[in-house]
Amino acid sequence: MTKRQKQTLARILVTAGLFAALLILEKTGRLAGLGRWLTLLLFFIPYALIAYDVLFAAVRRIRQGIVFDENLLMLIATVAAFCIGEYAEAVSVMLFYQIGELFQGVAVGRSRRSISALMEIVPAYANLLEGETVTQTDPDDVEVGDVILIRAGERVPLDGEVLTGTSMLDTAALTGESVPRRVAPGDAIVSGCINDSGALTVRVTKSFEDSAVSKILELVENASSKKAKTEQFITRFAKIYTPAVTLCALLIAVIPSLLTGNWREWLERACIFLVISCPCALVISVPLGFFGGIGAASRRGVLVKGGNYLEAAASISTLVFDKTGTLTRGEFRVTRVLPAGCDEATLLRLAALAESGSDHPVARSILAACGEAPQAQAVADLTETPGEGVEAVADGRRIAVGNARLMARLGITPPAVKTAGTVVFLAEDGQYRGAIVIEDAIRDGAAEAIAALREAGVRQCVMLSGDRQTAAQAVGDRLGLDAVHAELLPAEKVGCVEAMLAEKGPKEILGYVGDGINDAPVLTRADLGFAMGSLGSDAAIEAADIVIMDDDLRRLPTLVRIARKTMRIVRENIWFALGIKLLVMLLGALGFANMWMAVFADVGVSVLAILNAMRMLRVK
Amino acid sequence: MKKKFAMEGVDCAVCAERMAEQICKLPGVENASVNFLTQKLILEAEEAQLEEILAAAQKVVGRVDKGARILL
Repeated sequence: MTKRQKQTLARILVTAGLFAALLILEKTGRLAGLGRWLTLLLFFIPYALIAYDVLFAAVRRIRQGIVFDENLLMLIATVAAFCIGEYAEAVSVMLFYQIGELFQGVAVGRSRRSISALMEIVPAYANLLEGETVTQTDPDDVEVGDVILIRAGERVPLDGEVLTGTSMLDTAALTGESVPRRVAPGDAIVSGCINDSGALTVRVTKSFEDSAVSKILELVENASSKKAKTEQFITRFAKIYTPAVTLCALLIAVIPSLLTGNWREWLERACIFLVISCPCALVISVPLGFFGGIGAASRRGVLVKGGNYLEAAASISTLVFDKTGTLTRGEFRVTRVLPAGCDEATLLRLAALAESGSDHPVARSILAACGEAPQAQAVADLTETPGEGVEAVADGRRIAVGNARLMARLGITPPAVKTAGTVVFLAEDGQYRGAIVIEDAIRDGAAEAIAALREAGVRQCVMLSGDRQTAAQAVGDRLGLDAVHAELLPAEKVGCVEAMLAEKGPKEILGYVGDGINDAPVLTRADLGFAMGSLGSDAAIEAADIVIMDDDLRRLPTLVRIARKTMRIVRENIWFALGIKLLVMLLGALGFANMWMAVFADVGVSVLAILNAMRMLRVK
Repeated sequence: MKKKFAMEGVDCAVCAERMAEQICKLPGVENASVNFLTQKLILEAEEAQLEEILAAAQKVVGRVDKGARILL
C-alpha cells in the first residue's frame, strides 16, 4: 500500500468505529431524545471525516467545468440521502465507496507491479572494459565498438559479439525457451539474456537504443496504443455512460415525483443511479486484460504489437505458412541413409571421406551428418566433376559419390529412390554401396504445432511455396496440411492470399506465417502477419504484427490459446460489469434495490473485474 | 519529437484520459496519451517548446488529480 492508501485505511477504520457507536446508540434508543438537528450533526461527523477528499475533488472538477464526475455524483447522492433523513445510509454508502476505492487502488497497484515485473529485462548497468580497468556505466553511454565485461549471473546489457570466454546464456526472458544456449568467441549475443556461468568479454555491436532489449520493451509498451476494437468501444462507451446514467437519475427524481407527489421515495431511487454512474470497472479491467494477454505472450517468446492483433489472433480460422525457412529449416540435412551391403555409419563415413575436400552444400550436410571429421590425409587423388560428383581414393579403395549420371558413367544402375530431396549415390571400387537422401528438413515440432492449432480451433492450414510441386507436396503430406500451393513467385503468393481472403467469412481472420524477410508484401496483406523472428532480426520485427522470437512453431497454438483466454476474460468483465450495473439500476428504478447494492455495483464490481483481469497477468 | 515520461499517483483511469485530452490541447503539442496502467505520458510535441509544454502539462495533471505528477 502507498502512503496515501494507508491514510485512507486509517480514516476508514476511525469512521467505521464512530459510525458503529452511533448505530448502537440509535438502535438502543439513546438518540431518540436529541431531536432532528442534533442527530444530523452527530452523523455528519463520521460523514465529513470519510467524505472530505471526495468533496475537494468534486469542487476541483466543477471549477474545471466537469459535471459528470464520480466524486461529484457520489457527493450529490449522499447529500440527498441526508436531506431525506437517511443519515445512516449516507454515511455507510460513502464508507463503503471509500473501502471499494481502496481495494481498487490496491488491486491496480498489484497489477502495475506485475506489469513492471514483465518489463524487468532492462539491464541496469554495463561493465565497460578499458584496458585493465572495469567501470560500471549506464548502458546508454556505451558506444558501438566498446568492449564490455559480463560476469556470471549478470544480464547482457547490449547486443554484441563474444571476444573471449564461453558460457551458457539463459534466453528465457526473451524467448520463453528454458534450455540455455551455449556461446563461444565469435558468437553474437543479444541483450536481455542472462549470463549463466562464465565471464564473457563482448564487443558491442549495437547501441542501447538499437539493442534487442530496447526494441522489445518499446514494442510491449507501445502495444497499448494500438487498441483492440473492444477496447475502443469501451473508451467510447465510457464517455457517454456517465451522462446517460446521470440523466436517468434526473428523470427519475423529477417526473414520477411530479406525478405522484412522493419526492422522498423517487429521490432515493435516483440516488441509486448516481452511485452507479462510474464506468471504472470497464475502463480499468478491459485494458488490463489486454495488457496481461500481451505480457503472457511475451513471456512465451511471442511479441504481439498491439491489443488489436491479440484480438484478431483469437479468431484465426485460416493459417497460411511459407515453406522454406518457416515450416522447414531452410538448410539441407541428411534425412535418410540407405546402405546396400554395409551399415549406415560406414556408408556415411565413406561419403564423408570422399567429400571432405568439397565445399558444396551436399558435401557440408554429409560431413555434418557424419559427425567426426574424417582424416584428410587418408584421402588421395581427389577429382570433382561438376554436375556429377566426386571421386577419390581412400583406404586404398576407389570411392565415387554423386548423382545418377556419375553412377551411369561407372556402369552402375542405382535403384530408384522416391524423395522430394536430393539423392547422392555411393560406389566403392565399382560396387554400388547405397544412397544418401538430403532434404531441407522440416522444423522440429512443426507437425505437433499444426495438430495443436487444429485442436485450438484453426480450421485450415495451407502452405505456399516457391519450390517444386513434388518437394512442396511431400512436406504438406508429412505435416497433414489442407492445401499446398507450389511453384509460386513472390507476387503470386500475394494473389493466392488475396483469393483466400475473398473466400473467408467477414469475422474470420487469415494469418500468414513467414520468415519476415522476403515475405513482407504477403505479411502486410494478410489480416495478421506472423514472423519467425530469429532473435534480433530487424526486418522480421518490422514487417509483422506478431513475432515468434525463437522460431518455434509450437508458439502459434500457445498464442491462439492466450488470445482466446484474453478475449474470454475481457468479455466476461464487460458482461458482468454491465449486467450487474443494469440490473441494479432496473431494480433501483422499480424500488427493489437499496444504496448498498448500488455501492456493490460500482466499486465491488470494479474490484472483481480487476481481479478477473489479473488472472491474465498470472498466466505462466 | 516523441518522448516518454514516467508519472506517479495516477489513481483513476478516467482521469488519465482527461489528462491526455487536456495536454493534447496545449500549444505545441501534436499528440499526447497517458497510459493508466504503466503510468506513462507519451508526448509528441515541438522540441523547442518542450520545457514550457512540460510545465503546462504538469499543471494540467495536478489540476485533474491532485496526487498525480509527471516525474521529470
